[in-house]
Amino acid sequence: MSMKTRVSAYTLSVALIWSSGALAQQKAEVLHWWTSAGESASVKVFADQFTKAGGTWVDNAIAGGANARTAGINRMVGGNPPTMMQFNTGKQFDELVSNDLVRDVDAQAKAGKWREIMPKPIVDATVREGKFFAVPVNIHGQNWMFYNTKIFADAGLEPPKTFPELVESGEKLKAKGIIPIALGGQPNWEHNLFRAVVVGHGGADMFRQLYGTRKPDVLKSPKFKETVELFGKMRGLVDPGSPGRNWNDATALVITNKAAMHFNGDWAKGEFIAAGQTAGKEYGCTVVGQEPKLVIGGDVFVFPATKDKTALATQDKLIQVLLDPTSQIEFNKKKGSIPVRMDVDVSSMDTCAQKSHSILKDPANQVESMEILSPPNFSGAMQDAVTQYWNNPNMSADAFIEKITSAMRDAG
Amino acid sequence: MDSISIRAPSMPSGGTKTQRRVKTRLPAAIALLPTALIVLVVYIGCMLWTVRLSFTSSTLLPKLDWVGLAQYSRLFVNDRFLTSASNIIIFGALFISGCLIIGFLLAVFIDQNIRGEGLFRTVFLYPYSMSFVVTGVAWQWFLNPGLGLQKLVRDMGFESFTFDWLVNQRMAIYTIVVAGLWHGAGLTMAILLAGLRGVDKDLWKAAKIDGIPTWRVYTSVVLPLLRPMVVTAVVLLTTGVVKLYDLVVAMTLGGPGIATEVPAKFVMDHLFERNNIGLGTAAATIMLITVVSILAPWVYVRYVRPQGRHA
Amino acid sequence: MSTVVPQGRRPQHLTIGRIGVYAFLVTAALFFLLPLWIMVVTSLKPMEEIRLGNILALPSAMTFEAWAKAWSSACTGLECNGISVGFWNSMRILIPSVILSIMAGAINGYALSFWRVKGANLMFGVLLLGAFIPYQVFLYPLVRIFSLSGIYNSLTCIVLVHVIFGLPTMTLLFRNYYAGLPIELFKAARIDGGGFWSIFFRVILPMSTPILVVATILQVTGIWNDFIFGLTFAGRENLPMTVQLNNIVNSTQGERAYNVDMAATMLAALVPLVVYFVSGRWFVRGIAAGAVKG
Repeated sequence: MSMKTRVSAYTLSVALIWSSGALAQQKAEVLHWWTSAGESASVKVFADQFTKAGGTWVDNAIAGGANARTAGINRMVGGNPPTMMQFNTGKQFDELVSNDLVRDVDAQAKAGKWREIMPKPIVDATVREGKFFAVPVNIHGQNWMFYNTKIFADAGLEPPKTFPELVESGEKLKAKGIIPIALGGQPNWEHNLFRAVVVGHGGADMFRQLYGTRKPDVLKSPKFKETVELFGKMRGLVDPGSPGRNWNDATALVITNKAAMHFNGDWAKGEFIAAGQTAGKEYGCTVVGQEPKLVIGGDVFVFPATKDKTALATQDKLIQVLLDPTSQIEFNKKKGSIPVRMDVDVSSMDTCAQKSHSILKDPANQVESMEILSPPNFSGAMQDAVTQYWNNPNMSADAFIEKITSAMRDAG
Repeated sequence: MDSISIRAPSMPSGGTKTQRRVKTRLPAAIALLPTALIVLVVYIGCMLWTVRLSFTSSTLLPKLDWVGLAQYSRLFVNDRFLTSASNIIIFGALFISGCLIIGFLLAVFIDQNIRGEGLFRTVFLYPYSMSFVVTGVAWQWFLNPGLGLQKLVRDMGFESFTFDWLVNQRMAIYTIVVAGLWHGAGLTMAILLAGLRGVDKDLWKAAKIDGIPTWRVYTSVVLPLLRPMVVTAVVLLTTGVVKLYDLVVAMTLGGPGIATEVPAKFVMDHLFERNNIGLGTAAATIMLITVVSILAPWVYVRYVRPQGRHA
Repeated sequence: MSTVVPQGRRPQHLTIGRIGVYAFLVTAALFFLLPLWIMVVTSLKPMEEIRLGNILALPSAMTFEAWAKAWSSACTGLECNGISVGFWNSMRILIPSVILSIMAGAINGYALSFWRVKGANLMFGVLLLGAFIPYQVFLYPLVRIFSLSGIYNSLTCIVLVHVIFGLPTMTLLFRNYYAGLPIELFKAARIDGGGFWSIFFRVILPMSTPILVVATILQVTGIWNDFIFGLTFAGRENLPMTVQLNNIVNSTQGERAYNVDMAATMLAALVPLVVYFVSGRWFVRGIAAGAVKG
């Protein structure tokens, strides 16, 4: 029934455009990679709001960021771009900006005071040459540690506050036959764990020097070596079945009381929610490190350049919908992230999200994610280095540091 | 190509003149024209384009600057690329020979006038029909020491049984071979079975009358006759080896560490994930050169030099 | 077909050799079926049971919910209509692509092995080398070529792409199969005054059944399971089922429903499976040989 109405409305709208030329039918084709059940529910928030505002949302979901981005970029090059398209907050769309393929939305940004209401790392990651070229929609914290509350209570342990503490309690848990760290042993998750250790033990500045300025000096500091060795010690805290495992299978180990801790971005809440668990009850979330620095990234939408007035108006309406306070709260509740606007009330969100929001209130705690700091060829080369170090217990910290040095050199 | 084509028969006798010959061949030439155009524009065009891009500093979008051999010098010190290269040799050798042996055995056994032939054939072929994204997960679980085979055997009481190839850097590539055989052997069987069924039935009668054992007929008479089909299978399997990507992504994502990285994955990651078209196309060019230098002599001798089958 | 002649001996009752044959086939079948077993039992379990990790065990509470969900209600983005959405799109891509690519391969193979056209073998050599390049390398230049010619993002475009990339293997398959056919047959047809097309349709094609079956298996599987070309060239209205399948099974940050993933994968494979099973009846002995004699 609803399908039928949608089809007829669509046919009607096509017919209208056809007959009256540029009648302002605001049909927006949106290309994104949110396809799991939870992600679908979150994108529906935007779609519903847009429909309410009088537009027609044409959904084009393609799972896998690289697949979706490649398809979108091919279509831009082929002259048939979608109305709006997802990227991760960061450098992925740099070249689209320099090739004039995406629209500058700075007028909307000024009107909406984006520079004031969004955290500076997010603003900086979206602005090119002083202008906004994308609309950020959320903030994902990437270095959360999820832990099984029951396991810690039974063992009489507190969730660790620092990484040396973590290694210590990890050994105790291991002695009890519990997997201390559930790790999805795929290179990107191993790299994510490494970054959590760098920012939590080495500090925000070390993280920025490593991924941002990329000067080899940072690699020579004793603190960096210590961090790398600490990361190396954690190899003993995962189970032998870790390599190759999907992160979802790793969270399942925490959910089913087999493993104590799991490092991941806040999107992992989706698995706990799907298993019927509640933050603060069966599982907890915390940021490990001397100070709770949160590595933040997220998603943005870019708007392919167009001269068509109807399309421009449609894009304007989409921007309003994306940043509307209600859609921000509702979207992010479902997505697991927190609103990109720091000026909205988050009291209706879960405890992890509230914790995230309160950590980020202090700008000193905001750390730009690797996607923001590094070009993809450097982060890729780093990933290769990290996964080699993590999986070769015999590889020395110095050999690993040597690999990072050459990754820095190659990325230029 | 094979024993039959060497017979190299001639055109219909009767001293045809060159002109007439050209005229009668015209429809054949016209029939081949669309393919010739595609070869020229798509295949040769895209190959040249790829090679050209490997001399640029292109990242997300292709751009036509010139950086000489810079991408290549990066490539040849890249551990991951070097590991990929050696992996593909191990995988290729085991996968192709394994598929041929298993595929031939299955084809011969299925050819024994057995009951339920259709069922067996479908069972051996079904892996080929399924997307690796998820069958890879099934393999990954089965080979995972905490979930699959190792756990099963230990639960049966053999506490010291260890099977951890999937998570063992030295052995992981062999698990990719096993899953690859599972996927590719059925197709090899189908190709060889089609060949077997094309063998002249009189040949079997004759062999039976002469009292030659069945297995001898297969190895000494049938196998040589199957050569074109074996060549077809080898070429198909080889293209699969060179393009090997999905299987690795689904099972190990190149891990543990970089132990199961392969060249096609290197190319794909750099083209699409890492916005590094320059390095990705350099790797693709090296793959292309390798394939060409291995295959070109063979293609030349087998296909280019003998002009058709006619004198 | 009733005169199928035995290959080797054809015992009437079970002998040791016969038992050996079945033992081999059954053992091999068990190995081949192992992953399918894991997939089937997983697809019948609820997620709570899957999380426990007993991958080989039968479900304690069997449910077909995942199958229904995979087909018609799993989310693939905003819409939650399962993989059924793309079924007809996939069909519309599959049928013309399979027919055209096989025809192209058969004609090429025939022209290459029976007719002597200048440069044809060189062309074939280059085509064969093309089969070794990862497809992804072609994407960008092809997008440019197709958008210049105005057919980018259409059914025509995706069918053309499948025909183009089917050419090397299809041509090889038919060329080598025809190389095994007796040349006398062709010579006789020539003497009877047959031309290029009439020999092809009256003599060669009727003898091609086994290889047509193999070609169909190859192309139906390849085209039905294609994801990257469909995504890049088909256009939004023609996206094949594999795009929905990928959306269900392949999310980077999303939670995973393995039971639905497994069911969706098996459902998506049904069309090639049916083709394998049905086409197998043409895998009979002696078609080519019989035609030679006939």
